Amino acid sequence: MMENESLFPNPKWLDYLVGLVKRDPDRLKDLGIADFRLAIKVEFEDGSNKIFGLVLDGYDVDSQGEISGIDSFKPEATLSGSFDAFKEMFDNIVENRGADKFHTLNTLSLAEFPLRISSDDPIGRDKFYRYAETLQVIFDSLGLEAAKSG
Amino acid sequence: MKSDIDLSYLEKVRSGQFDLGWLNNVTSEWGIKPKPSKIGLTLRDIFVGSYGDIPETAPRRTMAPRGCDIDSELPDMGYTINSKSEVWADNLLDLYEEAVSRQWSATRDIPWNELQELDPDVEHAMCQLATFLSEVEMVASDFPAKWMWRINHDFLEAKMFLCTQIMDEARHSEVFRKRALSNGGGLGKASPVGEEFLKLVLDAKNYDEGSALMHLLGEGLVLSVFRAGELIAPTHVEKKIFRLCMQDEARHVAYGTMHLRYRLERDPLLAEDFHAFLDRGEDLISMIVTTPQVVEPAAILATGSVKAAESIGDEASNILRIRMIEEYLQRCDRAGIPRRGRMKLPEQILEGTSANDVSKNPPQMVVG
Ligand SMILES: [Fe+2]
Ligand SMILES: [Fe+2]
Repeated sequence: MMENESLFPNPKWLDYLVGLVKRDPDRLKDLGIADFRLAIKVEFEDGSNKIFGLVLDGYDVDSQGEISGIDSFKPEATLSGSFDAFKEMFDNIVENRGADKFHTLNTLSLAEFPLRISSDDPIGRDKFYRYAETLQVIFDSLGLEAAKSG
Repeated sequence: MKSDIDLSYLEKVRSGQFDLGWLNNVTSEWGIKPKPSKIGLTLRDIFVGSYGDIPETAPRRTMAPRGCDIDSELPDMGYTINSKSEVWADNLLDLYEEAVSRQWSATRDIPWNELQELDPDVEHAMCQLATFLSEVEMVASDFPAKWMWRINHDFLEAKMFLCTQIMDEARHSEVFRKRALSNGGGLGKASPVGEEFLKLVLDAKNYDEGSALMHLLGEGLVLSVFRAGELIAPTHVEKKIFRLCMQDEARHVAYGTMHLRYRLERDPLLAEDFHAFLDRGEDLISMIVTTPQVVEPAAILATGSVKAAESIGDEASNILRIRMIEEYLQRCDRAGIPRRGRMKLPEQILEGTSANDVSKNPPQMVVG
């Protein structure tokens, strides 16, 4: 499991995830360059939300951590969903050493439930598909780490 | 070919007399030294000075590299696509780099030895879907290949991007053929209705028509099918196949959308022509949702058996139909050719979508 301070949706969870990816940069490099600003919006039952920024730039991946608002980050697309939906996905990735067939990013978002991908610009939205494998590898890093630590 | 080859030149070289015309009479830009960006030396990096100037209308029909010194005796290659706007897109240079960088191998990158024995109905369904995709994918190689030699060499980067697409689609045909043959099943049934659309693309009278039908409409729909394929894939092996194909397909659609936008921004009067092309092509949507070879395997994969598919498969295909149409409409908006209120498909096909809600159309581009 993730360290306590990195537990989703602690503001540092995305930094932690990106840190795991950076430990083995060849895994992303093998998939090729990417160019994408993805906001990840976690919605809570009380109506509040937290937004995190993920940036793919060439062979690099970076976390902008928790961001104060969508507008300042200028995402090309936003992946939204309830806290429970994200939590279930991350728990599955950890338990299964990578998302099982019911918990991949595409599977969870195609029907716009429990996650949904949105953008004002279909070219931005389509980047979620254009980098589908890269994004899945990033999120699945959590599972690989869990496998390493037994 | 010219027969007046100057053999006396050999004598001059033997006696130490070089011509040096190529060295002394240089008019092309000299002293250019672009710096590589952090991923390497990209097309955008070398898009500098006169080398980055692309004529709106190509002045010659030769294979002379854009920006080089021109010999007046270069032959005419007979290009028929000589306007930049016929093939260009603002995202072209980046899409080419991305395509080259993100190539994958259907042999190496799919964990074929992790395929699992499936329920016979499910294996049949997977093989039928793979058959359909192997059948339709290659047209997206054939179409650019048919037109590429007609595209003026001044638009080299567009031709280079189309080369990547040709390779991508070869790999898509390959990976679905391999999937059909690799797990105890085999190929299923070809689809006459599907091939009618492929014929429409191949028979397109010009690149405009074929590109709108293929890059924007056909590949957009196939992208939705790949997304659905990833969702309903029986194991992680097929899921990876669909994700990798999805990535390539989204690049082709990004080109198609932004190419059409580029074209219409420069010649807004073409909009009605493009509407007419899409009027003819959109039957593909009806075809996809009414062809048993496509709908039924997808429903079986989504539900796990023929029995379950017959009772609840309709729900899954409705989700796909609505997503497919909505995403297509949004791409049409972005391309500058809003289709809401213009689609002529039966109400059962458009039900639940915004196809008839013209208030959702973006403001039209200004003509002029
Ligand atoms: Fe394809
Ligand atoms: Fe394609």
